[in-house]
Amino acid sequence: MKLNRTSFALVATLLAGTALPTFANATVTVLGWPGGSEETALRATVETYNKQASDADKVELLFFNREGFYDKLQADMAAGSSAFDVNLVATYSIGRYAPYMEPVDLGADAAKVFGESVLKTMQFDGRQYGVPTDLSLHFMYYRKDLIDALMKDDAAKKTYGEIAQKYLGKPLQPKDPDSWTWDDWAATALYFTKQVNSGSPVRYGTVLQMKNLLFNMMVFQSLPRSYGGDWMDKDGNVTVDSDAYRTGLELYKKLYDAGSSPKDSLSYEYAETNAAFASGQAATALQWNAAAADLTSTEKSPAVAEVTGIVAPPAGPDGRADHIHGLGLGLNKNAKNKEGAVRFLKWLATEDAALLYARSGGSPALSPDVVAKVAKERPDLVKLGEFASKYGYVMSGATSASALPVYELQAKEFTGYWSGQQSLEDALAHTKAGMQDLLKK
Amino acid sequence: MALVTRAEGRMYLTPLVGFLLLFLGFPAIVNLIYSVSTVTFETLRSPVLSGFGNYVAVLNDREFWGSAWFSLRFGLLTALAECLIGLFLAIFLAPLLSKRPVLMAPLMLPLMVAPAMVGLMYRLVLHEFAGPVPYYLFEWFGDSPAFLDINNAFRTLVVVETLQWTPFAFLLFYMAYSAIPLDVREASSLDGASPLEIVRWIDLPLMKPTLVIAFFIRFIDGFRVFDNVYALTGSGAGGSTTSLSIYIYQAFFKEGAIGKAVAASVVLFLASFIVLHGLNRLAGRRKG
Repeated sequence: MKLNRTSFALVATLLAGTALPTFANATVTVLGWPGGSEETALRATVETYNKQASDADKVELLFFNREGFYDKLQADMAAGSSAFDVNLVATYSIGRYAPYMEPVDLGADAAKVFGESVLKTMQFDGRQYGVPTDLSLHFMYYRKDLIDALMKDDAAKKTYGEIAQKYLGKPLQPKDPDSWTWDDWAATALYFTKQVNSGSPVRYGTVLQMKNLLFNMMVFQSLPRSYGGDWMDKDGNVTVDSDAYRTGLELYKKLYDAGSSPKDSLSYEYAETNAAFASGQAATALQWNAAAADLTSTEKSPAVAEVTGIVAPPAGPDGRADHIHGLGLGLNKNAKNKEGAVRFLKWLATEDAALLYARSGGSPALSPDVVAKVAKERPDLVKLGEFASKYGYVMSGATSASALPVYELQAKEFTGYWSGQQSLEDALAHTKAGMQDLLKK
Repeated sequence: MALVTRAEGRMYLTPLVGFLLLFLGFPAIVNLIYSVSTVTFETLRSPVLSGFGNYVAVLNDREFWGSAWFSLRFGLLTALAECLIGLFLAIFLAPLLSKRPVLMAPLMLPLMVAPAMVGLMYRLVLHEFAGPVPYYLFEWFGDSPAFLDINNAFRTLVVVETLQWTPFAFLLFYMAYSAIPLDVREASSLDGASPLEIVRWIDLPLMKPTLVIAFFIRFIDGFRVFDNVYALTGSGAGGSTTSLSIYIYQAFFKEGAIGKAVAASVVLFLASFIVLHGLNRLAGRRKG
């Protein structure tokens, strides 16, 4: 009996020893976007915040893997998880997660830091669900040295014109990348393709991200958009079978079939595209803005860092278009430490925090006055803000709860067409039928 | 006198039965309910019974049958390749391994790596600009095949799976081969049997139970493949590398079609149960 009492006392002491520090250190747990510049910037920003925060407000970071992130997050939130107080939210998933989150008032100054249009990327049903930490859009990366040499060489220009005529049926001439149409880009990609032009100094004219993956559809979307494409018309009818989508899908397939993009492009996503362009064997790449830091770093991409140019995606008949995708942090409805979480989110929306986040490698879209303060260290953020305000768009229906399944559906059907498993007509018909089903929910 | 009375036996078994009921029985019942319900992530705790519509949707879905065909082909091919190579290695390396058993350790190493890691590793190894395999192919032959394009992805996945799991089959076969008494082989040798005849008429018949078990274990593992395929090609261009497990995962998480995903898993469970029950009966008949 004595032994039992002693054991009981020991166990109780052990439990108390482990539980008490937990009570004493009620922290704010933040679930962030894992890997890449977002994680690095958030870690650095939180480190600064923790130096000034009280014990109860100190932030602890939690990261899953990127693979299946949104699915795991959905399962956790639907199960009422309180494992994190603040969670990641993205423009295209707000509708999906809003039922498990609480709106948050960021204060009047947030609009001065980010601008109303950027704050809207974190709104659903008119309510603010998060602080916009990163804005993602796409840059057209190109090799300045290759384009400059092409523009100066008359024989090369003649070959370029012949290739454009043969493959695109148009007598095009080389142009400055900032005034490219999609046809100009395609002709340039074909010219720099070894399989098309044996004199090409590089193996491929471009790198297409064609893996069956929803994020790749975001990259592709700007092509049909610049031809006037949209998911739905004003009456809510699905319009994915438009000429704009046909043109975009056919152009990708034409380039892939001609060997302008690596053979394994059907398994390429962000990392593979970066590796291909950084190898110095590709002339152009339509890629996420987050890659700018790596592709222009002499340490990470020594072969191309000093010759990489950046412009907005090429133009179509409706001008240029750049797909905006905002990441942010918002409040979990089941948060254990809501007060601490709200204090952290409000601090994150201040100018000081946004600038710190930018200097630490993040990609916040900041208002012109604020971005001017980091323009020297982060010139890409100036481009980010400029492209977002001039060319940024969100497809009709793309903030609904079904937005991500729509991208998934497009990824499956479009890659089926690009890989030659189904015709363009079938791909568009399947996509339209699936989107009608998803968007009416 | 029995060492343990019937009452004591029941008492000892109670925790195990309780555990199984809680951790296997409860999810199974929830699955069955979800499979005949309309349910979303928002209504996980309040599904609405809606009949067998989910089963009809699954059985009419061409993607379900496409993924079932992928899993069947993948399971059969990888199991066959792993068993054949494993058997060859077990017999070929047996004399060496009996003298240098330490060599078993490096041969077993692939089993220690998580399948998802293997997928990620090959994603790097086969990448045209970062991987050593395409690099040397370009150096030596001026070109490299697209290992993960629509024509080669299936073959690449089969090779990757086979490379990782052949050591498992090899280990079983080597143990079975080593367990055959030497005097049996010596006797047949004295009777004038050639080494090939000894393998054909002595070793293989004695190893048959192990061969069958290893084949089915590897088939089941290949049939339910998920991690390395998902890490390497995802569901593939146009869904071309969608295994049944990936189909269920996608229906559940990507489409949010929980009822359909669960119905597919029930169909898979029933099919597996029928096959395993058939095998069990077959084994029972052989014993009898």
